[in-house]
Amino acid sequence: MFVVWLGTIVTLLVTINPNLFGTVQADVGQQRLLNGIITFILFFTVLFANFAEAVAEGRGKAQADALRSTRSDTIARKMLPDQSIQEVNSTELRRGDQVKVIAGDMIPADGEVIQGIGSVDESAITGESAPVLKQPGTDIASSVTGGTRLLSDELIVRISADPGQGFIDRMISLVEGAERTKTPNEIALTVLLAVLTQVFLIVVATTPSLSGYIADFLDNVLGSAAGNSLRAGTSIAILISLLVALIPTTIGGLLSAIGIAGMDRVAQFNVIATSGRAVEACGDVNTLVLDKTGTITLGNRLADEFIPVNGHDLQEVANAGWIASVFDETPEGRSIVRLAEKLGAKFDLNGQPAEGIEFSARTRMSGTDLDGKEYRKGAVDAIKGFVRSRGGQVPLTLDQAYERVSRLGGTPLAVCQGPDIYGVIYLKDMVKPGLRERFDQLRRMGVKTIMLTGDNRITASVIAKEAGVDDFIAEATPEDKIDVIRSEQAQGKLVAMTGDGTNDAPALAQANVGLAMNSGTQAAKEAANMVDLDSDPTKLIDLVTIGKQLLITRGALTTFSVANDIAKYFAIIPTIFAAAGIGALNIMGLKSAQSAIVSALIYNALIIPVLIPLALRGVQFRPLTADQLLQRNILIYGLGGIIAPFIAIKAIDLILPLS
Amino acid sequence: MLQGWIQIALTLLIVVVITPFFGRYMARVFLGQRTFLDSVLHPLDQVILSLSGVRIQEGMTGWQYARAMLYSNLTMLVFIYLIFMLQGGLPFNPTGLTAPSWDLALHTAISFVTNTNQQHYSGETTYSYFSQFAALGFMMFTSAATGIAVAIAFIRGLTGRPLGNFYVDLIQSITRILLPISIVGAIVLMAAGIPETLAGPAIIPTLENPGISQAIARGPVAHYEIIKELGENGGGFFGINSAHPFENPNGFTNLIELVAILSIPTSLIITYGIFANNLKQAWLVYSIPFAILVIFIIITAIGEYQGNSAVNALLGSEAPNLEGKEVRFGWAQSALFAVFTTASMCGAVNSLHDSFMPTGGFVTLSNMFLQIVFGGQGTGTAYLFAYLILAVFVTGLMVGRTPEFLGRKIEKREVVLASFLILLVHPIAILIPSAMTLAFPEQLAGISNPGFHGLSQVIYEYASAAANNGSGFEGLGDATLWWNLSTSFSLLAGRYIPIVSLLLLADSMSRKQPVPATAGTLRTDTGLFTGVTAGVILILGALTFFPVLALGPVAEAFQILKGIG
Amino acid sequence: MKLPLLNLSFPSLQTTTQALEEVLAIGSEWRRQKLPLYLFLALCLNLVIAPVVYATSNNEFSRSQAWALGLLGLGTAAISVYLFFVMFIPEKF
Repeated sequence: MFVVWLGTIVTLLVTINPNLFGTVQADVGQQRLLNGIITFILFFTVLFANFAEAVAEGRGKAQADALRSTRSDTIARKMLPDQSIQEVNSTELRRGDQVKVIAGDMIPADGEVIQGIGSVDESAITGESAPVLKQPGTDIASSVTGGTRLLSDELIVRISADPGQGFIDRMISLVEGAERTKTPNEIALTVLLAVLTQVFLIVVATTPSLSGYIADFLDNVLGSAAGNSLRAGTSIAILISLLVALIPTTIGGLLSAIGIAGMDRVAQFNVIATSGRAVEACGDVNTLVLDKTGTITLGNRLADEFIPVNGHDLQEVANAGWIASVFDETPEGRSIVRLAEKLGAKFDLNGQPAEGIEFSARTRMSGTDLDGKEYRKGAVDAIKGFVRSRGGQVPLTLDQAYERVSRLGGTPLAVCQGPDIYGVIYLKDMVKPGLRERFDQLRRMGVKTIMLTGDNRITASVIAKEAGVDDFIAEATPEDKIDVIRSEQAQGKLVAMTGDGTNDAPALAQANVGLAMNSGTQAAKEAANMVDLDSDPTKLIDLVTIGKQLLITRGALTTFSVANDIAKYFAIIPTIFAAAGIGALNIMGLKSAQSAIVSALIYNALIIPVLIPLALRGVQFRPLTADQLLQRNILIYGLGGIIAPFIAIKAIDLILPLS
Repeated sequence: MLQGWIQIALTLLIVVVITPFFGRYMARVFLGQRTFLDSVLHPLDQVILSLSGVRIQEGMTGWQYARAMLYSNLTMLVFIYLIFMLQGGLPFNPTGLTAPSWDLALHTAISFVTNTNQQHYSGETTYSYFSQFAALGFMMFTSAATGIAVAIAFIRGLTGRPLGNFYVDLIQSITRILLPISIVGAIVLMAAGIPETLAGPAIIPTLENPGISQAIARGPVAHYEIIKELGENGGGFFGINSAHPFENPNGFTNLIELVAILSIPTSLIITYGIFANNLKQAWLVYSIPFAILVIFIIITAIGEYQGNSAVNALLGSEAPNLEGKEVRFGWAQSALFAVFTTASMCGAVNSLHDSFMPTGGFVTLSNMFLQIVFGGQGTGTAYLFAYLILAVFVTGLMVGRTPEFLGRKIEKREVVLASFLILLVHPIAILIPSAMTLAFPEQLAGISNPGFHGLSQVIYEYASAAANNGSGFEGLGDATLWWNLSTSFSLLAGRYIPIVSLLLLADSMSRKQPVPATAGTLRTDTGLFTGVTAGVILILGALTFFPVLALGPVAEAFQILKGIG
Repeated sequence: MKLPLLNLSFPSLQTTTQALEEVLAIGSEWRRQKLPLYLFLALCLNLVIAPVVYATSNNEFSRSQAWALGLLGLGTAAISVYLFFVMFIPEKF
């Protein structure tokens, strides 16, 4: 684009004085008119390229402004070492300071709750209106973000970020593009574009000498009219036009817009990437390491089936299950009640002395005491012990049912009433709907998925099969996460993972793409290169798509831009060298050299704004194999890039009122 | 007419049939596997290695390899320059030739070191026998071996192996490939009638008038002839090169020379296939230059067969264009030879390229602009893969991944090196000096046939130098100081910048951690990708020279059609 | 005849320091703003190139045209150098 700028200046000079670089043999007025038109179009080419970038940046700016409005300076209550409170401006807070936040206050900076419990409205950054409970000690809930508002109670927060380096500050500078550095891929592309520009600069700069030699020859053979016609065809303004037409201005003008738009698309997904590099890396990912719970499965196990034992029938088990779970407010308990009711179990507890027995880690069971009868449900071993303690027998069929459920990958819960075992409840891990198809798509794109779970092998393998992941690691510890990432990386693969806990931080840092949950700890967020504001780990799959889309858009527009050169060459060269007798090569039948040059330049300028929507939106991505993708995109952008300008330039030539 | 086409088809067939065997043999040599020549040559290797003090085990990095190549070539350059300048006092100089001008000697020395063999002189009247076989003949082996060594190092790097040791590769290229074939080939050529003698010119009475005697130049030609073709050297013992009856007496020798010209550049692609363990890809890559070659042969041959319309109008009949051709070869073999020799950067000629129809000029120029229609000794193959890397980069993004070639990511460094060496060196080394020369046609160019053809003459000379081809369009007064020095610049730029870039490229590729291929990886061994590569070659490689071709041969063709000038 | 009084008016110390400061300011400005410096150097260099162009063109060009052409050639060369920089250190652009 810099080159186009300089070209514009030079053409402006020759518009003012057409004789500047050599006496024009043709009509000076006409020459000046042509130079003027060329200057005008070149000016617009530069304008359009800047426009593309501005549009992309504008989108980010709007988002940044919204964020910035939350960050207005607040007065913080800084706690001094003697526990007294001093009011300071939030910008004066430093890492390690402690502040007291009271309900209704804006939290002044990023930090960690060290005392108190309170609910915080984080809608400014997550868009989620439900308040989030924050309390010290726990991994997940202790981190607070500057700019969010405390709704209830009081918190004492230890500040973890210096001013200007907080989470929101980073977000603002990222979406604004202030910290935009070129990604490796963009750098490589810039090199190629510079080389192409250099090549065409040499081609164009050497043309006057060659054509001048031929013009002298034509002077001698055909008379000076032919020679001058060739000289007019290779005047400075026309050569600059040729240069601008040939250098890859299209992709040059759109390159940064594509990158900014890519970041923007990620941001629209409510994910904050720390760099464009991270977004690109998403497209390159070979392996996804996914936690089972919360990512692949819904996170809660739901009752799927009642298995009667000990001579009881299904209805009796359902009834016992219903009673044992009626006071259980956990999702598991609720799902047991739902399933039982579906089977027709329904009691009216009114009037009966019923008392819920809560789950405890010691007893590993819960239940209801109804009218003196002890209904219990819990881990099979625990129920066995309970039944024995009440003098009951453990039937053989219980173990069979237990094994059956385990083999299916479920969690078995036994239900009993006093010494009498009724049956087993099959709690099933529910795979999120639609995931299987997503994993199939990923497989087609060549991305391998690995599931990590703390479950035993049998359970893990069943879930793995159901979800359609390629591999799984059962009974995994946090160290296993790093190990699996390292071993994949040792094979040269790029690995993406999600995580939220502090013990995920090393793995997040080790992975090429680490997506931390916003609900996660500060440590995890620092280590990751992306943060998901909605805390939905499944988004990692979407990020892979966005990364690929970004790369495809860049590649497609580069191919298109370079392929355009064929048509531009065939439009310009035969017409400006027409005096040398190669007019027959003018296969498009353009009217004249002037018309051909102007048409090609107009096409060259207009194609930039035409492609802006594509650059911003991104090329449509389909989960196909690389070969299918290449075939499809080559057809559209390669072949299209060859043909489209032929049609467009011819059309512009027909419309133009130039002779 | 049919006979001519059959000759062309048969030659092509022989070239293709030889390829896999020769390619496999070269792969065995450079993979360190046993070959049938080992028992004879192993002791010879040992002697050379121990005399030169090269340690085989020592691998080299790209830069070390490049430095070894540069230093050894510089030493050879100085050595042969001294031979030229001192040839008057050296033995085997039956015609008593004195030293040539310093610039001509310098140009010749550079031209032979760079495997170009561009000749601004006639061998029989400028250089003594000693200069011819000790300096030129010596360089024909070593410069060709340098090319092979670089190609092998490049292939090694591309396939993730260490680059190897330049001196070992250089010696092996000579002892296992060039020397054995040359010995056999020289004997066959002698049997076919090419002289091999140290005696001075034969003085014999002419047939017309026995009273007048004539000196017929001869010399140690046969051994010189085979390495001239096999090593893509192309520098003729005699001024008119393979058109001379002592260099290329008949159809049989012509066939041998044709096959020898293309044998190594074609086979190296298969060698790559064996190194990469992907013969399918090798043959697909092979198909690109082969298709271009066939198209170019057809264009040239049709042009020559149809002849010059202006001349035919005077004759009143259709006749092939035989100006500047040897009748014993005819239009078909001359056209074939012209395309082969410019395609492969050999530069030997059996006819005058200046006299070809503009279609022939177009093809020979395009061949040298592209440099990959099998291309020069070793370098052609490497260029072809550099184009492949560039094609991967441009289109590879479109599958949504950072582009990879053979599992190795193409990043900034690779793009800088690949695009620099195949896109930029040529315009710099051809267009800039051409523009300078044509800006002062009277003072510098020495054009014999002004106009479009004159433009082609100048461009051809620089293209031939930059592509290290060495053939001449001829018709230029090119033994001047300007020509000697400016083409020397093109020779050096066209040879060493790409070679060093190639070695550094290979080095950086070999150091990369390979990424395992998945369904999401762009496969480079498909027909589709081969087509894409061909498109990239066409757009990036050829379009650069479109304006030049338009003002040169294309305009000339239209000129002949219209009968102007 | 009366000799005219030698009335050399030395610039006051203040103006001298001011001028010096101006020069220094321009000098320091050059360190940051390279473009004017380069333009100035290009114009100087063109003083050598333009006559060469004029001399070699056989009166085909007028003096001013030769001057402009020299500048154009320099500009082209400068772009070429700039592009080489972009090629080898693309991170900066």
